[in-house]
Amino acid sequence: MRTHTNDRLKGTLDLLVLKTLASQGRMHGYAITLRIEEISENVLRLEEGSLYPALHRMTQAGWLRSEWGVSESNRRARYYSISAAGRKQLAEETQEWTQLTSAVARVLSLA
Amino acid sequence: MSWFNRFSNLFRREIVDKELDEELKFHLDARTRDNLNAGMNAEAAQHDARRRLGNATLAKERAHEMNILMSIETIGRDLRYALRSLRKSPGFTVVAILTLALGFGANTAVFTVVNGVLLRPLPFPEAGRLFLISYQSKQGIFENQPGLYDTDYLEYEKQNRAFGQIATFNEDSATLTGAGDAARVQTATVTSSFFPVMQVNPAMGRTFLPEEERQGNNRVALLSDKIWRDRFGANPNILGKTITLDGAQYNVVGIMPAGFTFPHEAAFWLPLAVGADPGNTYIRPVVGRLRPSVSRQLALAELEAFTKHLSPGPGAIRESMVAEILPLNDLLVAKIRKSLLIFMGAVAFVLIIACANVANLLLMRGNTRQREIAVRNALGASRGRVIRQLLTESTLLSLCGSIAGILLAIFGVRALLALAPAAGVPRLQEIHIDARVLTFAVALGAFMGILFGLVPALQATGNRVRDFLSLSGPTATASRQRLRGALVISEIALALVLLTGAGLMLKSFMRMRTVDPGFRTENILTMTVDLPDSTYPTALAIQAFHASVLAKLSNLPGAVAAGAVNWMPLQPALVRGTFQLDGGRKRPRGYTVAKPAVSPDYFRVMGIRLRRGRVFTEQDLSTAPGVAIATQSVANTLWPGEDPIGKRITLEDDPQPKDWLTIIGIVDDVRQQSLVEEPQPAIYQPLQQVTRPFFLSHMSYVVRTAQSPQSVAAALRGVLQKVDTGQPVEIAALTDLVDANIAETWFQTRLISTFSVLALFLAAIGIYGVLAYAVTERTREIGIRMALGAKKSHITRMLLKRTLVLVLAGVALGGCGALVLTRVLGKFLFEVKPNDPATFLSVAVILAATGILAGLLPAQRASRVDPVVALRSE
Repeated sequence: MRTHTNDRLKGTLDLLVLKTLASQGRMHGYAITLRIEEISENVLRLEEGSLYPALHRMTQAGWLRSEWGVSESNRRARYYSISAAGRKQLAEETQEWTQLTSAVARVLSLA
Repeated sequence: MSWFNRFSNLFRREIVDKELDEELKFHLDARTRDNLNAGMNAEAAQHDARRRLGNATLAKERAHEMNILMSIETIGRDLRYALRSLRKSPGFTVVAILTLALGFGANTAVFTVVNGVLLRPLPFPEAGRLFLISYQSKQGIFENQPGLYDTDYLEYEKQNRAFGQIATFNEDSATLTGAGDAARVQTATVTSSFFPVMQVNPAMGRTFLPEEERQGNNRVALLSDKIWRDRFGANPNILGKTITLDGAQYNVVGIMPAGFTFPHEAAFWLPLAVGADPGNTYIRPVVGRLRPSVSRQLALAELEAFTKHLSPGPGAIRESMVAEILPLNDLLVAKIRKSLLIFMGAVAFVLIIACANVANLLLMRGNTRQREIAVRNALGASRGRVIRQLLTESTLLSLCGSIAGILLAIFGVRALLALAPAAGVPRLQEIHIDARVLTFAVALGAFMGILFGLVPALQATGNRVRDFLSLSGPTATASRQRLRGALVISEIALALVLLTGAGLMLKSFMRMRTVDPGFRTENILTMTVDLPDSTYPTALAIQAFHASVLAKLSNLPGAVAAGAVNWMPLQPALVRGTFQLDGGRKRPRGYTVAKPAVSPDYFRVMGIRLRRGRVFTEQDLSTAPGVAIATQSVANTLWPGEDPIGKRITLEDDPQPKDWLTIIGIVDDVRQQSLVEEPQPAIYQPLQQVTRPFFLSHMSYVVRTAQSPQSVAAALRGVLQKVDTGQPVEIAALTDLVDANIAETWFQTRLISTFSVLALFLAAIGIYGVLAYAVTERTREIGIRMALGAKKSHITRMLLKRTLVLVLAGVALGGCGALVLTRVLGKFLFEVKPNDPATFLSVAVILAATGILAGLLPAQRASRVDPVVALRSE
């Protein structure tokens, strides 16, 4: 049951996080922030405060798994990884995103 | 999973808070460190990190929102909505809750008893590690209690490794004198290891020392808290004082803590010495505490290995003996467990029927709520959301039912225990509604609420919006009708199974009632005494006592005749044994007889018919030649086709010439052991000729009265007090003693009947509800039919046909179920087979009649439908 497809911003954040975790494996929140900034060449700046609620929400939806581990700087940090349900969600959202962008692109080029 | 997460987070808010704090702190620190590495100064680095993260508290709260708001908020909303919607239809709500309360109440009440008797651990430390050690015959007339022969006990005590210490004990009774009126009290004789094994310490004083098992040191006693308070005024200086049991003095060495009465309802504990002589054939229960590292299986394996090496031993019946390690509670509950489990099954049926009824109500309600649900769908509520709402409603309903059920159960438990036979329920005082019962009731309520709410919820939300819009109004779909039909069929089937069980029990009980015990029971009053050896040490002294009492009883106004017998038939104890025949004749292998000792008038009082020869007379004294009376079956077995009169037998294993008895008469067999067993062979002796005090000290006097037996009870008491004031008086009408034999069956029968009547009632309501609703639903169709010329009788017949189909399907299904399930009753039934055709047939007829009757009302109403009104109704 998708409850936020109309909320593109939130949806996009989910998509980015899912995609990042799908390609990178286990990461903590800060690493996710850095990774997204790095890949998008700093075009996409996460509002870092909204990342954690999103991570929690996705964990509770069963898309992510979280566990405590030790960071590279030897501190306790919460690590997230993507679950099978998350991968399914990622596939769905990716498809929707592609459809949306291609539709917008068509409108922009033809209208 | 996600629900679980949310709920668990809810209860762990503090932990979540701390974890979130830590997570955000980690993020800030990492960003600050990177900023520092990029060349910012410390202050700028921290400031930038904070700015980027935004308001940390806000971020935290938002994360919390996900946990709490989404669950609590929606649950709260669902609950409020459910309450409002239930309040809007009070009729439905009240009927549903009452129905459920009946089901839950019955279940909670029975579970309370099961909990108190079967589930609660015995009140000893680590009672789960206490086990009975048994090596007993599992066949034959004496289906023995678990236990060991004394000789095996001594051997096992030495050899076993599985138990730290083992103990053996005996239940007994004694006459307490010198502390108020003389009274019969329960006693227990126990080895000195008994209390250490139980790990129970006295509240005052000490328990027994090993040397106190020996003769000479063994006049010591422990008192239960209750007897100490009731009979000794809770005297704090009682230690070292003496008490008198059966005329012997015992030194009080300790008082046990309140509530400790094991085994059974012991008031006194006395030391037990286990004799090592090979002639000792005592069997006693044996208890041990398993060592911490040893499992029950291991202990059993050890016991089995041990029993393999035992010598043939007493009775030479080792081949039929089985080694067992049983939970200690089995000693108390082995008998009642099966009937409790059957009751559990019976009430579960009642609950399922009640829930099926409510599910049916919900299904109908779902129909009428189509419009509401369609609107909620159109407003964007997902199907899952609506289902959750409907489930909240059914669960709320069910929980209300279970709470009402708990209230009902408070009375139910009391009623149940009042019905139960006095000695039938062990640990009666421990039966009450506790946390476990409440948990059971609420969990069952929640579970059943979701279960019976699910199908109606799925049904109600199954229709798409457009289905609803495309139709002019709610119309019954075939599938919905089928579902309701299926529910009614299963209700009828379940009710039939229960009713069949009840019918079988009832029939069996009636059969028991009409059993002729072989003696008369009306207008006979009995009085029983146990004469202590200390006051009456010899057979002569005891016989003098009995003669004196009997003479006074015979002359009592209102008494027609008086007799005496050492062990009454149909009472718990009975002397049985072997005998020898004159002239080297062999008695049949394994053939034993009851050996009552009676006074001359016993047969006359009890109405036991003399077939040949004569009964005993006052002249059959100890100095006269030994005589005996055999029952008809003894004569037929031992001397077929011969005249039994004048034949000689002896009841002794090692007879002296004077031990040979001449048969002087033949009487009818009577049921000695129990009403449900065939009459047993017996050889009677005149009590004046019995020489062993043991066979004389326990004696029941039987007095035939002209009027109601209770009218001479006071006079009987007076007689006894005149002869010896130190004797406790036990007086009972013989009918009551005999009825005690069937008290347990009566209890089971009444309970099962109550449950099945409840089930029948609920099922009838279910049938009525479904058909009444079908009529409402089909009003328009009926109107059209009537407008087209259908007669009223046609309409009634049409609707009755549906009733008939449902009822017959239910009866057929239930009949099959009953065939399988009534087999569990087999052990409880007397002269009735579990598949007794007459019972099955009559129950089926009763159920079908009830079902058709319940369907008749709606069918009649349908025939009175006014076509004009009906056609306008849409």
